[in-house]
Amino acid sequence: MAVILELDNVTKAYDQYKVVDDFSFAVNQGELRCLLGPNGAGKTTTMDLITGRQKATSGTIKFDGRDITGLREDKIAKRGVGRKFQVPAVFKDLTVSDNLRVAFSRQTDPFVNMVRMGRKEGQDRLDEVLELVGLQDRLGELGGNLSHGETQWLEIGMVLTQNPKLLLMDEPTAGMTEQETQKTSEIFNRLKGERSLVVVEHDMAFVREIADVITLMHLGQTLAEGPMEEVENDPRVKEVYLGSEGITDAA
Amino acid sequence: MSVHDFWTPFALEPFINALLIGLSIASIWLVAALGLTIIYGTMGVINMAHGEFIMLGAYSAWVMQYFIGIPWLLTLPLSFVIVAFFGWLVERGLIRHLYDRPLDTLLATWGVSLVLIQSIRLIFGGEPQYIDAPSWLKTVMVIDFIHIPWMRIFIFFLAIALVAVTFAILFKTNWGIQIRAVMQNKEMAASFGINSKKIYGLTFAYGAGLAGISGAMFTGLKTIFPDMGLGYVVEAFLVVVTGGGDLLGSVATAGIMGEMFSVFSYFTNDTFGRFVLFILIVIFLRFRPQGIFSPSMARR
Amino acid sequence: MQRANLYHDKRAQWGVYFVFFGVLAIIPLLMDDPFTMNQYARYGVFGMLALSVSLVWGFGGILSLGQGIAFGMAAYGMGATMQMQYQDPVNDPIPSFMLTNELEALPTVWEPFWDTHLGLILAFGIPVLFFVVFGLLMFQARLAGAFVAIMTLAMLGAWYNMAYDMQPFTAGFNGISPPSAFEAFGVEVDPYSNMIYWVSLGVLAFLTISIKALLQTKFGTIVQAIRDDPERARYLGYNVAYYQTVLFALGGLVAAFAGVVWVMISQYVSPTSLDIFFSITMVIWAAVGGRMSLFGAIFGAMFIKAAESYVGDEFQATWFVILGVVFIVVVRFLPKGFAGLFEYAVGFVPYWRRNG
Repeated sequence: MAVILELDNVTKAYDQYKVVDDFSFAVNQGELRCLLGPNGAGKTTTMDLITGRQKATSGTIKFDGRDITGLREDKIAKRGVGRKFQVPAVFKDLTVSDNLRVAFSRQTDPFVNMVRMGRKEGQDRLDEVLELVGLQDRLGELGGNLSHGETQWLEIGMVLTQNPKLLLMDEPTAGMTEQETQKTSEIFNRLKGERSLVVVEHDMAFVREIADVITLMHLGQTLAEGPMEEVENDPRVKEVYLGSEGITDAA
Repeated sequence: MSVHDFWTPFALEPFINALLIGLSIASIWLVAALGLTIIYGTMGVINMAHGEFIMLGAYSAWVMQYFIGIPWLLTLPLSFVIVAFFGWLVERGLIRHLYDRPLDTLLATWGVSLVLIQSIRLIFGGEPQYIDAPSWLKTVMVIDFIHIPWMRIFIFFLAIALVAVTFAILFKTNWGIQIRAVMQNKEMAASFGINSKKIYGLTFAYGAGLAGISGAMFTGLKTIFPDMGLGYVVEAFLVVVTGGGDLLGSVATAGIMGEMFSVFSYFTNDTFGRFVLFILIVIFLRFRPQGIFSPSMARR
Repeated sequence: MQRANLYHDKRAQWGVYFVFFGVLAIIPLLMDDPFTMNQYARYGVFGMLALSVSLVWGFGGILSLGQGIAFGMAAYGMGATMQMQYQDPVNDPIPSFMLTNELEALPTVWEPFWDTHLGLILAFGIPVLFFVVFGLLMFQARLAGAFVAIMTLAMLGAWYNMAYDMQPFTAGFNGISPPSAFEAFGVEVDPYSNMIYWVSLGVLAFLTISIKALLQTKFGTIVQAIRDDPERARYLGYNVAYYQTVLFALGGLVAAFAGVVWVMISQYVSPTSLDIFFSITMVIWAAVGGRMSLFGAIFGAMFIKAAESYVGDEFQATWFVILGVVFIVVVRFLPKGFAGLFEYAVGFVPYWRRNG
């Protein structure tokens, strides 16, 4: 089983304070890894480090066998890493269809793009994605005019259009209804295998549906790692979540 | 000026004179930028009309002296009050509504600048006006080879006084503490009951007042005309931005800029000196956008 | 089928351009006044400058207060080219203003301008090259918003001082007045003729149509995406600084065209082309007309300038007060300018289109 993402002894420190502390983490190809932990555990920072938004103080990050530590965001993205943000980020003054067209980013050279209309390319993929996220009827609507749920779907759609090998999803079901959450878990389950996913989440029911392996972070380090049942019953985990029902309660 | 006269060779005495004049220039830029530092540092507002507040201060002083006969020295604090009040009006009427839109604040204040310049032109005409400064300030101090006009010395010390007063207000008074709290963290300050809206209004007024009094001071040096403000706004901004929106930063920047300008101008001339200075600042800002003193925020 | 706004219909937009330029093209045939044609030709230049601002700001999200840099550099380049067309290598090789400044020989930087083709290349090339370098400097450092605005302003100020000061090279505040009209391909472009008007209008039309077409390509969509959210664009794999620099340089190219045509019309260039006030006025035209509409910006520039000249000399100050107030109102309430109001109004016209 090939390792698609590998973090080796990664530390991110602000002066003396270590947000991520000698953290090591490996995700296999095709796996769906859930990254859990209370606020401040270092989850989002880890995502930032992987995608290049922040620079690690020490340690290495490897993607698909190649070192990506310290690379610029767009270079990492081009290698096949896609990210969905906690607060949905779409292009507000572009239509839904233009949002997706931009997400179809196989060709990123500005001059080549000057001689293309971009209307036909990837149309099949776009149609597929549109149906998947249910925005076929909202094509002409501006990104900024969508409801919160629709914006989430659009961003998911954009990441799907981008078609990366590794998808990093930061709280994808935040603000979603029961139904939408169900739909998301279906999509994720379809994606894994062909692609790899790392999902940061708080909704335990959702995590149960999708996770192959869970990594529980605490104070910038790994507290526990393994399949759900294992982590749930780990005594150290129970100790940290003193008095509560273990991590099942963590929301 | 021919090509051959471009470069002035080094000579100790005129050079020392240039260094001293540099201090004077620094003090002028500092006091011009002081109000803007407060406004930008506290509120993040980029007030493109700042130069025009300076101009208003100058014209207030002129009107008071010419039409009412108030002595020059007295026009200084009065100009502060007049322009401070005007600034308060501008904040209430316009700036207040644009706090979450910094770019639009920049543009809207440019509109204010335009309106102010042209209104003054309408009322007073475009010809330069002269102010009558007290005779004891019109002479030149001569010590050996050093020639410095007394007015420049006066402005220098007045600038220092204003900076000291501003420091005192910011660090010793209740109001100052509130301003600094809002400067650092608006939301947190609000949870302590600090009404940032009120703070902003008074702060903007204070910053405008500082511009007003500096305008009044400058009447002692040069003639006044409607678009005189334009000559200060770019320099003032560069002082503020390079200084990081921090009072100490502005003092340091103004000092460095003033001296550098004087030295460059000594060797070449005024306009070329300005050109080199601007280029250096642009390069500096590219590598350290947060300014001189702010804690180093490496991008990632 | 879905209810949509006719304003966004691409064919309707091209139709408007067709009518607009068509009507403007006919004007000389209805008049017989070379002097007026010279005046009208200037409006083409104002349109080009507004186009430059709209492209970079409205579509790229980059507020540049220094488009005048490209305008001024190109104007000086054209001025030098035209001046050297007049000079004779044997009998009269040195422009008179240089002789007044006690220069004995033509400065090396002026030498290339003996050749008209080279001169034109420099007139366009130097501003574009500068904008590429300056753009890279700013955008690689991820500077944005007001910061970029201030830096472009400071840079403009620096170049103004340069032009003002380097008297032997630029004739300082007097400016360069090439005595003869511009000549290319054996044709003399008489600044007081129908021809100059059509040249100006032609360049404006060419630039507008090219930019509009460019904005409809994938590049145009990506650039607008970057305007809305540069970070999101980065995570999709786009090199944002590169795109911003290319766009910025394009804006500079458009402003350079304006500078070249301006000197063709006015036979004069001085540091006023690099005036801070002028560069910010271009932004006012685009803002009031509508920065997210190429047509709006161009129309705004022409309308404001026309009103300015209509108002006459005595009322200039009053006019600017009004303009200033209008500008403040637009910034506060109408981010899309009057084009935005028009868009709103057109929205009431019944119009449906197939989905997407």
